[in-house]
Amino acid sequence: MTIQASMGDGNKVKGLVYKDKSKPTDVRHSNINAAKAVCDAIRTSLGPRGMDKMIQAGNGEVTITNDGATILKQMNVVHPAAKMLVELSRAQDVEAGDGTTTVVVVAGALLDAAEKLLSRGIHPTAVSESFQRAASHAVEILTGIATPIQLDNREQLVKSASTSLNSKVVSQHSSSLAPLAVDAVLKVVEPGREQVVSLSDIKVIKQLGGTVEDTELIDGLVFPQRVANVNGPKRIEKAKIGFIQFCISPPKTDMDHNVVVSDYAAMDRVLKEERTYILNIVKQIKKAGCNVLLIQKSILRDAVSDLALHFLDKIKCMVIKDVEREDVEFVCKSLGCRPIASLDHFTAENLVTAELVEEVGVGGNRMVKITGAQNAGKTVTLLVRGSNKLVLAEADRSLHDALCVIRCLVRKRAVIAGGGAPEIELALKLAARADTMEGIDAICLRAYANALEIIPFTLAENAGLNPIQTVTELRNRHAKGETSAGINVRKGTISDILEENVVQPLLVTVSAISFATETVRSILKIDDIVNTMT
Amino acid sequence: MSIFASPLSVAGTRTSGAPVRTQNVMAAASIANIVKSSLGPVGLDKMLVDDIGDVTVTNDGATILRLLEVEHPAAKVLVELAQLQDEEVGDGTTSVVIIAAELLKNADELVKQKIHPTSIISGYRLACKEACRYIQDNLTIPVEELTKACVVNVAKTSMSSKIIGADADLFAAMVVDAANAIKVLDSSKNPLYPIKAVNILKAHGRSARESMLIQGYALNCTVASQAMPKKIVHAKIACLDFSLQKAKMKMGVQVLINDPEKLEAIRARELDITKERIQKILAAGVNVVLVSGGIDDLCLKYFVESGAMGVRRVKKADLKRIAKATGAAFLTSLTNMDGEECFDSSMVGEAAEVVQERISDDELILIKGPKARTAASIILRGPNDFYCDEMERSVHDALCAVKRVLESKSVVAGGGSVEAALSIYLENFATTLSSREQLAIAEFAKSLLVIPKTLAVNAAQDATDLVAKLRAYQNTSQTKADLANLKWVGLDLLEGVVRDNKKAGVLEPTVSKIKSLKFATEAAITILRIDDMIKLDPEQRGDKSYKQAMESGELYD
Repeated sequence: MTIQASMGDGNKVKGLVYKDKSKPTDVRHSNINAAKAVCDAIRTSLGPRGMDKMIQAGNGEVTITNDGATILKQMNVVHPAAKMLVELSRAQDVEAGDGTTTVVVVAGALLDAAEKLLSRGIHPTAVSESFQRAASHAVEILTGIATPIQLDNREQLVKSASTSLNSKVVSQHSSSLAPLAVDAVLKVVEPGREQVVSLSDIKVIKQLGGTVEDTELIDGLVFPQRVANVNGPKRIEKAKIGFIQFCISPPKTDMDHNVVVSDYAAMDRVLKEERTYILNIVKQIKKAGCNVLLIQKSILRDAVSDLALHFLDKIKCMVIKDVEREDVEFVCKSLGCRPIASLDHFTAENLVTAELVEEVGVGGNRMVKITGAQNAGKTVTLLVRGSNKLVLAEADRSLHDALCVIRCLVRKRAVIAGGGAPEIELALKLAARADTMEGIDAICLRAYANALEIIPFTLAENAGLNPIQTVTELRNRHAKGETSAGINVRKGTISDILEENVVQPLLVTVSAISFATETVRSILKIDDIVNTMT
Repeated sequence: MSIFASPLSVAGTRTSGAPVRTQNVMAAASIANIVKSSLGPVGLDKMLVDDIGDVTVTNDGATILRLLEVEHPAAKVLVELAQLQDEEVGDGTTSVVIIAAELLKNADELVKQKIHPTSIISGYRLACKEACRYIQDNLTIPVEELTKACVVNVAKTSMSSKIIGADADLFAAMVVDAANAIKVLDSSKNPLYPIKAVNILKAHGRSARESMLIQGYALNCTVASQAMPKKIVHAKIACLDFSLQKAKMKMGVQVLINDPEKLEAIRARELDITKERIQKILAAGVNVVLVSGGIDDLCLKYFVESGAMGVRRVKKADLKRIAKATGAAFLTSLTNMDGEECFDSSMVGEAAEVVQERISDDELILIKGPKARTAASIILRGPNDFYCDEMERSVHDALCAVKRVLESKSVVAGGGSVEAALSIYLENFATTLSSREQLAIAEFAKSLLVIPKTLAVNAAQDATDLVAKLRAYQNTSQTKADLANLKWVGLDLLEGVVRDNKKAGVLEPTVSKIKSLKFATEAAITILRIDDMIKLDPEQRGDKSYKQAMESGELYD
C-alpha cells in the first residue's frame, strides 16, 4: 500500500513538474492574468474621482490610501508576475513619484492587448519588439505636444501640483497644499544644478491635531522633540548654535574598568572629579558663546547627563538632544554648520547664528523651531497636520506626490494636459501611423494605440460618467484637432482641459509609458517558470 | 473566474464596492448607538467592566469609546475622532461621534439612490464650510457680553449632562475660579489657561457637595516623619529633584580597603556627603523641603532637629508646578559653576502656609498662598471611587469648556439651537444650488437635526414635536429680520419646551461647535471615500510560497 501510495504521490509530483514546465503559452497566460488582476484591483482609485482603499494589515494597523504604490506595497501579492507589476509601480514612485496608479493600469491594458495578439498566433517576440517601437513613438509624440514652462512661472507649477493633489483624500485642501509644495521645491533648487534636486532637502514632519489646512512651510529647521532643559530658556533670539557629536556625561572607556577607592577622602574626589569634568566641557561651551546646543543621539551612554543639564541651565543654554544620526546631514545643511566631534574644536568659529530658536506648542506636542539661520543651506521643513492618524498619513503621501510632480517639472520643464487628453491623442496618432504600415507591426501598433484608451475610459468610469460615450466623444474632438480636449471630471463633460488648469508634468507620463511597456515586454518574454523553491 | 481572485489572494479577505461602504456605515452607526443615549443633560451613564473586572461608570463619550475594544477599522476612525475632539477641545465628544455617524448614514442612503459618492463628498465639504461661516457670522455671542456669569453658565452647560449636574452651581463657580487662578500670559500678552495646572485630587467619603477649591496647591503626600511639624506658617520652600540618600558611588567605582577601620570612615563619609547637603539647604532658612526622590530615615533627623518639614516622593510634575507657583528654583543638583555644592537664598520659594490636613482616610499637604503666582487645586469628594472618577472627568470637561471660552471669547447658544439654525440655513442654501451637491447639502442639514432629536429622546420628550417647534422658531428668525432674536431659541429638556437659551444661560464655546463640525465632516468623508477593503490575516510563519500556491491549483483554473 505504502509503495503504491508513494508512487501515486510520485506520479502526481511528476505530473506537477510536467505541468510546471507545460507549454509556454500557459505560463504566459497565467502571468498575464495575474498581472491583469493586480491592475483591476487598483483601477478604481485612478483619477480625481477615484476611491480609496482601506487596508488592514496583519498587526491590525489600518491604512487608507489612494496611492497606487502604497496599495500594492500593502497587498503582499503571491504570483511572481503580479509582483513585477508591484515593482513597476514602485519604480514609477521612485522615478516620477506620481502616476503610480496610471502606470499599472496602462501595463494591464497593454497586457490585455498582447494577449489578444498572442491568441492570433503572433509570436511574443514580435509583439514585444513592436510594442517597444510603439513606446518610443509615443514618447516622441508626447514631447511634441508638451508645452515648455519656466520655473519662475509659479502659477503653472501650482496648477500641476493641484492636479496631482486633486485625486487624493486631501483634495479639498489642494489650494493650500499646492503652493506649499511648489515653494518647498523651488526653495531647495540650486541654480545650475536643477537635475540633482533632491527631496531629502525637504523634511516632512507629521504632527497629529489640527486640520490639513494648518499645514505650514517653515523656512528653517524643526525638531519634533522638546527642549531638554529642566528650567532653561524656551526662546532665544540671536542664537549661537553648536552641533556636537560628543557626549556631556561621565566618560566610559572601551574596556571594562574599575575605579578603586580605598580612602574616604577619595570618595569626595571621585564625586568632585565628575563635576569638574563636566564643568570643564560646559565652560568651554560658554566660552565659545554658544547658547543653543544640538546634541546627536548617543546609544552607548547618556548624550547629556542630568548634572550637565543642570550646568547648561545655569549658563542659559538651550539644549536639544537626541538629534537622529540620519538627520545630521540635513541639520548641517540647513544651518550651514559642521558637526563638532570633539571639545577641542568647540570654538566660536564653529558655531552658526540664527535669528530665533523657540519652543512652540503645536497640537498637544511641543517642538523646537529654528528660523533665520545666518548662512542657511537650501532646505525647508514642511509641517503636516491632520485630524486623525489616517488622514495625516495620507496627507503626507499626497504631499510627497505633489513634491515629486514639482521635482519632475524642475528636471524636465514641460507640461502636458491631463484628464486623459494625452492618452487619447497618442491613441489617435499611433493608430494613424499604423495605417501607413504593413505587416505584424501595423496590427501590434494599432493594438497598442487602443490599449492607451484605458486611461480616459477608467477616468470616466470612476467619475460616474458613461465611459463609451465619453471616450468616443473625446476621440471625435481630438480627431477634429483639439489636442487639449480632455475629460472635465468636475463638470462631467469634455472640454479644453488646459483651460481647467489640469496639467501634469511630461516626465510622469513619459516614464509611465516607457516603464509600463518595458514591464509588459519582460512579462511577454517569459515562457517558463521553474520553481526552485523546496 | 478564480483567475481574477486567486493571484491576488493576499493572505486575507478583500471586499470591494457598495458592500464595503454599507459595512463601514453600519460599523460607524453601531459605535454612535453606543454613546447616543448618553448625550445631553438627561443622558444616562454607561457602566463598563473590563477583562480584569475594573469598573468605570461614565457619561463621557471619549472615555466610553476609549474603553471599548473596537475591531472594525472604520469604527476605529470614529473612536479616534472622539479622542481627537477630547484632546483639541475637551468637550463635545459624544456629539461629534453622533454627527459623523448620522452623516454617514444619510450618505449611504444617497449612494443607494445612485448618487456617486464623490458628489456627496463635495456637497458635504461645501455644507461644512457654509455651516462654519454661518456660525461665525450669525450665531456667536460676541466678546463684550462676556461676563463672569456667562462663563459660569458655560461651565454649567458642560456639567449639566454629567453626574455633577445636580450641584452645577457649586462646581461651576469652583471651575471658573480655578481657571482664573491659573491664568498666565504668553510672550505676546495673550492670556493662556493651562488646564493641566489645576491639580484635581480625589478622596472618597462625604458627599459631592463637600468638594472644595483650594487657592494653593494640594499634594497627595505626607510628611516624611511623624516628628516633623504639621503646619508651618511663612514657609520657605526648596524643591529638589534628587534623592537625599546615602551617597552611592557610580557604577565602575569599587571600594577596596584593607583596613577595617577605614570601612567605618567610608560609611561615615557616605552619610556626611548628604548631611552636608542638607545642612547647606537648612542654613538658607528653608523650613519645607520637597524632594522628588527619597529621603533616608537617617537624614530625617536633621530636619526634625531644625523643625523643618520634609516631603519625599513628590511627583515631578507637581514639583515643577510648585516651584513655579512659589518662585522656588527647581533644582536637579546643588552644584554651582565652580564645581562646588552650595544653596543660596535665591533658590528658596515662599508660601503663606504649608499644612498637612486629614481628608477622609488620607492626609494631604496643602501649600496655601504661594508667593509668585496663584494656583488652584480641587479636592473632589464622593461616596465611592467610581463617582469620584466620573466627577474628575466632568470637572475636566468643564475646565476645558471654560478655557476655550476665556481664550476665544465667544460662545453660542446650546440645547440644539445651533444645529437647528444650521439645518434651516443649509436647507435654504441647498435650494439655491442647481448642481448635484444640492441633495448632499440637504442631507447634511438633515443630519444635524440628530442632535436636538437625540437630546429630546434622551429626555423622554416628544422629539418630533419639539424639533418641529424649534425649527419653526429658527425659520422665523432667519426669514423675519425683526424677529432675529429668536435664533437663540433652543430646547429646555427638563420642561420639554423651547425657550431662549441665551437668556436661560445654556451656552457652549464656539470653538467646540466649529471643531466638532469640521472633525465630524472630515471623518465622514474619510470613510465615504473607501470603496475597497483589504484585511490581511495576522502574519504567519512564512508566506505562502509560490510552489504551495501552485500545488493547490490556485494559479490555474
